[in-house]
Amino acid sequence: MAAEHLLEIRNLKTYFDVRGGVLKAVDDVSFTVEAGETLGLVGESGCGKTVTANSIMRLVPIPPGRIAGGKILFEGVDILDLPESEMRKVRGNKISMIFQEPMTSLNPVFTVGDQVAEVIQLHEKLSQREIRNRVIEAFRLVRIPAPESRIKEYPHQMSGGMRQRVIIAMALACNPKLMIADEPSTALDVTIQAQILDLMNRLKEETDASILFITHDLGVIAEMAQRVAVMYAGKIMEAADVETLFSEPKHPYTIGLMSSIPILGIGKKEKRLSTIPGMVPSLFKLPQGCLFHERCSVAATECGQLEPPMVDLGNGHIVRCHKYA
Amino acid sequence: MAKNRIQKMSLWAKVTSAEDRHPFFDQIEKLFKNRTGVAGLIIISLFALTAVFAPLMSPHDPDENSLYDQLKPPVWNEGGSTKNLLGTDDLGRDMLSRLIYGARVSLTLGIVSVGIALICGSILGALAGYYKGWPDNLIMRIMDIILAFPYILLAIVIVAYLGPGLRNAMIAIGIINVPRFARIIRASVLEEYEKDYVTAARAVGAGNRRIIFNAIFPNCLAPIIVQASLGFGEAILSGAGLSFLGLGAQPPLSEWGAMIAQGRSMILRAWWVMTFPGIAILLAVLGFNLLGDGLRDALDPRLRD
Repeated sequence: MAAEHLLEIRNLKTYFDVRGGVLKAVDDVSFTVEAGETLGLVGESGCGKTVTANSIMRLVPIPPGRIAGGKILFEGVDILDLPESEMRKVRGNKISMIFQEPMTSLNPVFTVGDQVAEVIQLHEKLSQREIRNRVIEAFRLVRIPAPESRIKEYPHQMSGGMRQRVIIAMALACNPKLMIADEPSTALDVTIQAQILDLMNRLKEETDASILFITHDLGVIAEMAQRVAVMYAGKIMEAADVETLFSEPKHPYTIGLMSSIPILGIGKKEKRLSTIPGMVPSLFKLPQGCLFHERCSVAATECGQLEPPMVDLGNGHIVRCHKYA
Repeated sequence: MAKNRIQKMSLWAKVTSAEDRHPFFDQIEKLFKNRTGVAGLIIISLFALTAVFAPLMSPHDPDENSLYDQLKPPVWNEGGSTKNLLGTDDLGRDMLSRLIYGARVSLTLGIVSVGIALICGSILGALAGYYKGWPDNLIMRIMDIILAFPYILLAIVIVAYLGPGLRNAMIAIGIINVPRFARIIRASVLEEYEKDYVTAARAVGAGNRRIIFNAIFPNCLAPIIVQASLGFGEAILSGAGLSFLGLGAQPPLSEWGAMIAQGRSMILRAWWVMTFPGIAILLAVLGFNLLGDGLRDALDPRLRD
C-alpha cells in the first residue's frame, strides 16, 4: 500500500437515489492529498465538491445517498470499511472539517469554549483543567484576543469572523492530520475573508496539517493551494499544481474559468468580461460523451459521443479532454 | 429562520444590556415585562409557598373532626366565627386548613404527572424526530392512538385498571399527556436536525446519543417549558376531575376535587364547602395558564418583536 499519500481517493462514486433516477453527484473521482500540502478543489455550485468532502467524513446521509464504489484511503486504511464506532474516532480527531456557515455551525445554547472543549473531551481523556488549557491554547492559535474571557461567550455575542475562528479552533483542537475546509471564507466579507485565509495558511505551517480546500473562488485557490483539481458535474476535469494551472490551463473549461476572472485596469472598450456560455448540465440529464462538450468552444464531433479519458501531461498535470489524447 | 433568530437575539442583547450576557436573562426580563405572565407567576408562587409551609399556615389539623362545628359558615356570614375563617365541612373539619393542605396535593400531582409526561414524551419525541423512518412512524402512531381517546376517558380507563388512588391518578394523567410533549419535541427536533451545528457535531466525532441529548435537545427547551407550564394547570384540573369522580385522592386526604365532590350534595345548605375548593382550582389553573402564555411570549422567537 502506498503509504506516502496522506489521503488517496480512488474512483470514488457517491450516488443519490432519488425519485426520477440516480444522481451521480460524485462520479469516478480520484485525487491524493500529501502530508503538509493544501489541495484546492474548485468548481461551480452543485458540481460535487461538498459531497466529496462529506464522503471523506462519511457524513453523506444514507439513504438517499450511497457510496457506489471506490476507495478512500487515509494513512493507508480504507475509511469506507471502518465501522461507525471507529469512524467516530477519526472524525474531529484525525480528519476535521471547517464549515461554510459560521453563523449556524455553532450550537447557539453553549459557550464557544464548551464547544471546543467537547471536541477534546470526545477524543482524549484529560482533566477539566487540562481541557481548559487546551481550549485557551487553541483560541490563541487562531488569534482570538483575550481567550480567557472569550471562551465564556456564546456564539451570538461574536462576529462572523470570530465565530469562524472558533470553528477553526474546533477543527484544530485535536491536532488533525487533515482539515477539510468547505468554503470556509465564502460567508465572510472580503477583509475578514483575507484574515481567515491568512490565518489558515499560517496555521498550516505551524501545525503541519494538510488541507483539502474547497471553494468556487479561483482567487482564493491561488492564495491557498499548492495543487488544484477542477471539478465539473461530478468529475475531475483537470488537476495540476497551482502555477501550471494558472499559467497553462489545458482543459477548455479551466481556460473558460480563467478568462472569466475580471482583471482590474483593463480598458472597458477593449474587452468585455468573457463568460462560459450555457448552463451546468442537470445531473439527471448528463450529456453523452464529454460532460462539457455542449458549452465547449473547441468541441469536435467525437466529444459528443465518447467520454474523454484522463490524459497525463506529465508533472502531475492531468486533463480529461479529447484534445490532448 | 435560525439566522434570523440569532440575529434578533444578538440585537436584543445589544439593545437591552451594556454588557453581554446569556439570552436566558433577556428572556427572564421579557417575562417580567409581561403583566399576565407576572400575575401567573405571583399566583403560582403563593400556591407554592402555601404548599411548602402548609403546617405553619393552617390554623387547624385538616383531618381533625369536630362534632360541634359541623357546617359552620365562613366568618363574614351569619353564624360564622373567627375560629374557622372559611367555615367547616359536614364533619366539622376546617375548610381553610383543608384548602391549604390541598395545595400540596395539587402541586405534587402537577409535578409528578408533568414530570412523567415530560420525560417519556421528550425521549420518545426526540427519538422519533431524530431517527425518522420506522421508529418515527411507530412512536407517533402510538401517540396518535393515545390522542384518539377522549382525555378524561382514557385517564378513567387507566385508573380503573391500576386501581383508584392519588398515585395512580398521577400516573394516568402523566401517560395521557405524553403525546403532547412527544409531538412538540419531535417537531422541534425535526427543525433543529437540519441545522449546520448538528452536522458539525457529527463531524467532530459525536455519537447519536450525544447529538440528540447534548446538542439538539437544549435547543428545543423553549416550547417544552411553555407546554410544561400549561400542562401543569391541565394536570391539576384533570387530577381534581378524577378525584371528583372518586378515582383520585381518597378520603380523608384533603384534595380540592374530592372536596367538591363531598360538598356537592349540600350545595344548597352549605355553599362554601364546594365553592372554596372550586375557586382554589380555578386560581391555580389560571396561574399556570397565565404563566404559560407569558413564557410563550418571552421564549418563542416568532412572537418576538
